[in-house]
Amino acid sequence: MEEEGKVEEKKEKEVMEVSLQAGHLLLENGAEISRVEETMERIRTHYGVCSGSAFVLSNGIFTTVGGGNESFFAKVEHIPVSGTHLDRVAAVNQLSREIEEGKYTVQEVARRLEEIKDMPGKTKLMQVLASGCGSAAFCCLFGGTAADSAVAFGAGVALYLYVLFVSGPHFSKIVANIGGGALVTILCSTMYGWGAGQHLNDMVIGSIMPLIPGVAFTNAIRDIANGDYISGFVRMLDALLIFFSIAIGMGVGFSVHGWLAGGIPL
Amino acid sequence: MILQIVAAMAGTVAFSLLFGVPRKYYPWCGVIGGAGWAVYVPASHHWSAYAASFAATVVVIFLSRAAAVRNRCPSTIFLISGIFPIVPGAGIYWTVYYLVTEQLRQAVYTGYEAVKAAVAIVLGIVFVFELPQGIFRWAVKRKKAVKEP
Repeated sequence: MEEEGKVEEKKEKEVMEVSLQAGHLLLENGAEISRVEETMERIRTHYGVCSGSAFVLSNGIFTTVGGGNESFFAKVEHIPVSGTHLDRVAAVNQLSREIEEGKYTVQEVARRLEEIKDMPGKTKLMQVLASGCGSAAFCCLFGGTAADSAVAFGAGVALYLYVLFVSGPHFSKIVANIGGGALVTILCSTMYGWGAGQHLNDMVIGSIMPLIPGVAFTNAIRDIANGDYISGFVRMLDALLIFFSIAIGMGVGFSVHGWLAGGIPL
Repeated sequence: MILQIVAAMAGTVAFSLLFGVPRKYYPWCGVIGGAGWAVYVPASHHWSAYAASFAATVVVIFLSRAAAVRNRCPSTIFLISGIFPIVPGAGIYWTVYYLVTEQLRQAVYTGYEAVKAAVAIVLGIVFVFELPQGIFRWAVKRKKAVKEP
């Protein structure tokens, strides 16, 4: 009898660890709060842990189980926002569907989650090229010519090199985005001054796009709409902060370039 | 116009790569981003910019949810990159430009317009996510419909 109790206890702990790990992966890689809560609950109930509950914030998960004839277990995990990998979100989502179909034991789920955690991201080269292509495409979208797009491509590449190697590892968000905005603006203005491209505005708008906090913004709105106000407002604050930092950076860029070139050339 | 839509598709795909969207969903992301812009441009000729933003957002979110149901994955994957062409990046640029060049009137006006467009996007997202999941049943793959009688 006691032996059985021990086994139960161990199993509950495993289930809670697994559900926490799944929640961690989702939250870290850009899922909404309600999805994190739902997935954790699904995993718990599927493996028969009924007294568990989880409280999810934008950068942490608090989870407990216990009461009735289930043993107590509690864990708090701090989850710093690290970047968006939607492929991991999709993979965890798929896994949780498969769990509901009863395909996995708890140990197998733990192993699958480890695999998802180690999923290779896109290489840095790919990211830099994607940023360049995105910048060029958006420059064209807003009415830029082919020459403008070429400049935007260069600026987008330079911007992402800066994001990956300079601002990402070393700067805080505010400084990083001010720097990024300034870098793009100065680069585009200088190229424009040298006669490359016809529309300075389209070039800057296109190449600033990779900095725009689209994930934070959309997730903030969805969290607020779902009633997760705390996380929603934190994410909205994050998005607004980045928007303002980019704007300040662009302002700094214009001023510096104007100061270097003597008067703003527009 | 066609060129712009192609550019919107290319831009959306490039950004979905940055966000780590699985490769098999790139075409979906591209089509959704292109569709958003294809609605935005004609709409902005007839209506104000924020009404056009709203209409385009509604289309993007609706298609994202449909694609999510079809592929059985989170709609976030499609909508985050699909929404990008509509984001008022130009509004931010002009606001800053007018601020730096000391044209405060213009700056306030463009800033206000950008905020209105952002609010329209917010409303679009909120409203379409209120639609019940049942509406998207048509998007479910045939195979699944057979399995669940």
